[in-house]
Amino acid sequence: MRGKRVLFILNGALFLFFLIPSVQATFVAHSPEWLALGHYRPSLFGVKSTIDSENFFLASDGKTNPDAELNATLQLFQSNDTETQCRFPARYQFLKQKKLIQTPFPDCSKYEQFKKDLNPIGITLLYTDAYMNNPASLFGHTLMRIDIPEGRTQLVAHGVNYGAFVDPNENGILFAVLGLTGGYMGGFTVKPYYDIINTYNNIENRDIWEFHLNLTSRELDFFVAHLWELGHTQTRYFFFTENCSYMLMEFLDAVRPTLKLADTFPAQTIPLDTLKAVYQTDLIDRVQYRPSRQRRIAERYRHLTSNEKKELLNYLETLQLSPQFTPTQQAAILETAYEFIQYQWTEGKTDLKTYRRQTFKTLQNRTKLNTPSTPPAIQMPSPLTAHHSARITLAQGFERGNSFQEIQIRPAYHALTDRPNGLLNGSEINFLNTNLRYYDALKQLSLQQLQLVEITSLSPWNALFHPFSYTIKTGINRNWNPKTNTYGYTYDLSGGTGLTIELTPKLYAFFLGETGMHYGGFLPHNLGINIGAKTGIVGYFNTYQLLIEAERLFSDNWYLNQTNIRFNFTYNLAQNLGLSATYILKDIHPHSNNTFTVGLNYFF
Amino acid sequence: MKKIILTSVAVAGVLLMTAPAHAVDSTGCGLGSVIFKGQKGPLMQILAVTTNGTFGNQTFGITSGTMGCDPNGTVTGGTGKLVFAFLENNMDQYAFDASRGSGETIDALAGIMGVSSEQVAQVSKEHFNELFPDENVQVLAVATNLMNLLNVAA
Repeated sequence: MRGKRVLFILNGALFLFFLIPSVQATFVAHSPEWLALGHYRPSLFGVKSTIDSENFFLASDGKTNPDAELNATLQLFQSNDTETQCRFPARYQFLKQKKLIQTPFPDCSKYEQFKKDLNPIGITLLYTDAYMNNPASLFGHTLMRIDIPEGRTQLVAHGVNYGAFVDPNENGILFAVLGLTGGYMGGFTVKPYYDIINTYNNIENRDIWEFHLNLTSRELDFFVAHLWELGHTQTRYFFFTENCSYMLMEFLDAVRPTLKLADTFPAQTIPLDTLKAVYQTDLIDRVQYRPSRQRRIAERYRHLTSNEKKELLNYLETLQLSPQFTPTQQAAILETAYEFIQYQWTEGKTDLKTYRRQTFKTLQNRTKLNTPSTPPAIQMPSPLTAHHSARITLAQGFERGNSFQEIQIRPAYHALTDRPNGLLNGSEINFLNTNLRYYDALKQLSLQQLQLVEITSLSPWNALFHPFSYTIKTGINRNWNPKTNTYGYTYDLSGGTGLTIELTPKLYAFFLGETGMHYGGFLPHNLGINIGAKTGIVGYFNTYQLLIEAERLFSDNWYLNQTNIRFNFTYNLAQNLGLSATYILKDIHPHSNNTFTVGLNYFF
Repeated sequence: MKKIILTSVAVAGVLLMTAPAHAVDSTGCGLGSVIFKGQKGPLMQILAVTTNGTFGNQTFGITSGTMGCDPNGTVTGGTGKLVFAFLENNMDQYAFDASRGSGETIDALAGIMGVSSEQVAQVSKEHFNELFPDENVQVLAVATNLMNLLNVAA
């Protein structure tokens, strides 16, 4: 009897001995840490991992079953398969800390070498700004840097980039289509930071912003361990959703699961938005700015006197400096010249022989001067100061004496008249800008416009840089027919190209030649083409933006033969709030239509 | 693999750009050899932005940055290889920093070689004409001379 009881108790203890770890394992398998480490995201039935590589999962149903995956991982670390064990240092660290693993981590020479080469002391989130003349790149790009202890420069630290693996000879259109539809596999690459600087700062001429993250040393270890785990995997790359920035969100969640950054981006992931989300979590403790080569040249040029500017342009022709300038002036001119010659070379505007002759001569001239280099300090508003991506506008207006209310929704991203801080002056990229109007007298709600895409780039042309400005728009618009006094819709596609001049750093003037195609039952003969020109000024001041433009279009279709004048004034109340007034005159001789609107813009 | 592709692209680019009279071997590793160009034109840039493409293979590890400018393996030793790899990728910027006696590449080289930035700056500026004797100077010579001038063991 007594013996039986003892046996019973023993049995119970044995049962508990096996049960407790398995309860504990089940509990851990559903913890935020384990789910983040396996990149499990909520799906229709339970959870599913974002990672597509089969080798990331040890259990056959590991992609959708975090319990099975945890048990398989525990089994792995009880086995003697050290090669596979070496691929999962972060899982090991986590499960060891949860006391589910007691065995030591094996000797992994490749992983140890990887850590030794990285020599990590901290993590910095990198954000690259737009190309100077390309609004489509305003969405930015994010990557990471693993900082090294050497204090003065991080040039030889390493950058971590998530991108699609692409055949270098891929056809351009195919490249875009596959990028949008998940036709490429994405993965992590690790390369020296100087390589990243060369690519973004010096070849693509994009600014780099460096946001240092306040990770603990344990989190830093975990970061490198998890990078090793993910580095061996691949995942379908989707431009709008599972892109460079989204994967970094999941990555940071794995390092610090309380962040829950990936939850913020269930649909599209815009890199600038991810940067702001990281900022919201108080993860960023300091910011540094690394201007692009083009920006460095532009700022150096801006700081030259008009005589020095003339001498620079002359020097670029002759490689001869006039002795009338002081050594400090000469140094400034030569350094600007050197950077400009490099710019010309990476832009493919000069040949190697000329490049070498020009740079070598310039360096020889520079080295004769014993003057220290004093490039101008460059300050730009950080991308964190940019407005949010989506905009809603509530407006009150009058059209030919009829009052109306308007609601305008623009999911992304930036208009010519929006506050430009942290973005780019003279640039615009809008998607699905939709405008609904309700006329008080008619008691009628109507779609005023549905612009699919609007892109504008007004980039100043000067003595050194010669970018073309351009604009392209397409969408559905509601129009007024003066002859019948009725309204109707057209589908419009228009574009233009020309030049922009910087009157002052805050005020641009532009001149564009334009052409448009218009289709709709509303038009005489359903279809029309017009051609013409547009000119205007756009100003970016501290608290407001100003746009005034006039357009004259010619067509054999009487309706499309028109003059349009637009005036917009936007006052910035806050980073994400603005007040705007717009006046539009459409003149179809001899009739004219005036619209005046006042509205409140809110960015979210 | 990735670097090989980039190097081939760079070399091909150089070949296309130089006159036939030029020898192939004297173009790849001098000033201006790091040219892997950005995507040209707004359209190509838009396309590139959609994919954030990484050219290359998929074996994970640190991409070394070596461009094959030391085919005979003249440079030996850990420090020497690091200095060389750095200069292969930053020669034009280092030449600029050497001529003015300051800059980030000088700090980076000082860090790699374990000497002070001031020392690298001074030696680079004073011996500029030895380090860069002519416009076709090759990176191998620059790296070797710099280490000799600073008495840094490879």
